[in-house]
Amino acid sequence: MKTLPTGQYIPGDSFLHQLEARAKISCLFLLIAAVLGASSFWGYALVLATISTLLLLSGLPIRGAVAPVRRISWFLLIILLMNALFFEGEAVLASWGIFHLSRGGIEQGFRVVGNLVLILILGNLLTMTTLPTQVTTALESLIKPLKLIGVPTEEVAIIISVAIQFIPTLLEETELIKMTQIARGARFESKKLSERAASFLPLVVPIFISSFRRAEELSLAMEARGYRKARNRTKPKKAPLAPADYTALIVCALICLIQLLWRG
Amino acid sequence: MVLVEGKNISFSYDFDDSSFALQGVDIAIEQGEFVVILGCNGSGKSTLVKHFNALLRLQHGELRVAQIDVKNEEEIWLLRRLCGMVFQNPDNQFVSSVVEEDIAFGLENYETPRREIPERVQSALALVEMGGYEKRAPNTLSGGQKQRVALAGVLALEPEIIIFDEATAMLDPGGRQEVAKIMRKLHRAGKTIIAITHYVEEAVAADKVILMAQGRVLASGSPKAILTDLDLMKEAGMLLPLPVRLYYDLRQAGVHLNHCPLTDEELVEEICQLRSKS
Amino acid sequence: MSIKIEKLSYSYTLPSGEKVEALKDITCSIETGDFVGIMGPTGCGKTTFIQLLAGLRSPTGGRIYLDGEDINVRGYDRNRLRRTVGVVFQNPEYQLFAATVEKDVAFGLKYNGLSRSEVTGRVRWALETMGFDFEKVRAQSPLALSGGEKRRVAIAGVIATKPKILIFDEPIAGLDPYGRRNFLQFIRGMNQTGTTVIMVSHNLEALAEYTRHLLVLEQGRLIDSGPTREVFARLQQRNNGAFGQTEAQRIVALLAEGNLALSSAIITYDDLLSALKQELNGGGAG
Repeated sequence: MKTLPTGQYIPGDSFLHQLEARAKISCLFLLIAAVLGASSFWGYALVLATISTLLLLSGLPIRGAVAPVRRISWFLLIILLMNALFFEGEAVLASWGIFHLSRGGIEQGFRVVGNLVLILILGNLLTMTTLPTQVTTALESLIKPLKLIGVPTEEVAIIISVAIQFIPTLLEETELIKMTQIARGARFESKKLSERAASFLPLVVPIFISSFRRAEELSLAMEARGYRKARNRTKPKKAPLAPADYTALIVCALICLIQLLWRG
Repeated sequence: MVLVEGKNISFSYDFDDSSFALQGVDIAIEQGEFVVILGCNGSGKSTLVKHFNALLRLQHGELRVAQIDVKNEEEIWLLRRLCGMVFQNPDNQFVSSVVEEDIAFGLENYETPRREIPERVQSALALVEMGGYEKRAPNTLSGGQKQRVALAGVLALEPEIIIFDEATAMLDPGGRQEVAKIMRKLHRAGKTIIAITHYVEEAVAADKVILMAQGRVLASGSPKAILTDLDLMKEAGMLLPLPVRLYYDLRQAGVHLNHCPLTDEELVEEICQLRSKS
Repeated sequence: MSIKIEKLSYSYTLPSGEKVEALKDITCSIETGDFVGIMGPTGCGKTTFIQLLAGLRSPTGGRIYLDGEDINVRGYDRNRLRRTVGVVFQNPEYQLFAATVEKDVAFGLKYNGLSRSEVTGRVRWALETMGFDFEKVRAQSPLALSGGEKRRVAIAGVIATKPKILIFDEPIAGLDPYGRRNFLQFIRGMNQTGTTVIMVSHNLEALAEYTRHLLVLEQGRLIDSGPTREVFARLQQRNNGAFGQTEAQRIVALLAEGNLALSSAIITYDDLLSALKQELNGGGAG
């Protein structure tokens, strides 16, 4: 009955699954930098090749790995249009009032959307091959330096963990509420923008209320199990980085470096 | 030994409001007892047990749980370790999307040494018969399984008292049976069990039934004494267990069973006895 | 409004590539004015089934005909379908969103082409049917009401379109005994005024007492269907009572072990009571 939440961990023992989460997150940031830094044909070729290799290494079904892109395809299309129509580039092909369709705009649109798609796939690869708690633990240790400037890093880590655990539940609930309101006559699928907009509140209000209710119940349950703020908890186990982790980090750093040099 | 001892507990969710969720409740629960608190929605049963582990702060009256005064802020954390609670909605009590990590949450809160955690997680999972589900995401489990995992998270802390706050209300009959079975097993192993429900069937096998209505304890006693009392049950807005209902309805029709039965088996026995006599 | 379902299937693919068959080859029909129960354990496909019936999902195989019309063909008026089929989901109170009770209940009437006074009339009727004083409640915020009142407002919002078919998904889950009984009686009342009712529940006693026909789902397949009594009798034999046995049936089975054979048609409390009255009174007199 459910539209399956994307980005959920899928057990496996591929190369990507085995990398340490801290290494994976660092690599993710390096590769995101590489994507954002790509500017030439060869630059994009390099990041594309890298991501394809990662997809192969992950052993995940391609459909699942690119699912989040399909999910927000509408949003991507809007971004593409916004860029294409508002970007004041050279070689204007056509204009209507404040809209200008230019070659530069189209290029810009494709670049922005392309970057977004690649980053989404990278992020998805991380969450599909890494246990959420490993992500949390890794983030916690990576943000540790922030503690020096007063950020409660342990609490941030718990918040992230809880948020990740609630995503599937909330997605499912959103789906259900959407159906409930459609059954009552809401027109989410309508072609008329006004009708779709009118369906927005019936969806958002119940989801907000329900999220608050859930959050309240969860905080009681956490308290009942002895959770308290600003108190010591058992420290997470830290696995040492393996040679494979270092290799991955070096490769990603190199890709990032090459990208920046090409940009030059 | 009395594990839960409360005198004259009153509580109002809204201080300005004169409507009380609890009014002058006295309660006593012995160590090792299986107690069912029965009552309809709004009878105050859930409010009452949330005082036992100090999720709600005592406003009036006195309450000691496992020799701890619930008003003693210093000992609240110890209290919550000794007095575990499983909640109604199976979906709203998990902090991690991996079963074993979720069970470890409570242990981490009590600074259990890292090396002891895996073993305690394992034995808690074994107790609820969920071994093999360590790596699963709670949201991929059935309702009954979710509640068992939530219970494992509580059991890992080795509590004395386990409270089921309408933990079966949202489950299907299969899930209810799963949870009920584990409850009985824990009771046999010596734990004190406090279960809140409005399913009268779940009260039949208890050591003691506490019947609540409108923020008060109407009566407390053996299942036999409470569940077969027509007027009392009606006052609490509860339906009678089927055998009891049948006993009274047959009486009205001029058929007198010797004793009022509580379980299906007792009912059948009474009927067979009556037949063999005639 | 009769419903005809032919070889209905619904499947989807998990991100891991695994294919899940939520429903498989279901064929059955539901007559106008019937009270049909759907039973089966959690995850048997009950919810998917009603979502398909209400046109909220499209089947991956098979057809659903409403009064002879296939609801999944291109060009079928989905909006008309929404007005014909009302669905009360589990915990309907979660669907409330509007600033006032009146607006919330009127939400489904928005595109009905009714005049303003007609809409008010419908809202009044729906709220009064659900036991409210319309003038008193219309301007209140639905979110400030008590749990039970919220639920009733939400249901008023569904019945306001006067659907010819009403579907209830686990309507009594979580209610206490009197709440359960009141609600079931309301559903029966709706049915008696001519509405076709489909009720999904795992409360066997409620299904036995209130429905006229039953559909039994197990792992996405329709394993039995027919008049309620017959289905219960068959289920008892099939599973030896493991699943799908009411308490009355369980007692009959126990009595049979004690050499008291009662009719296998006994499924509800009232059946059992009258059979025992006859049996024991007769015995006492003789």
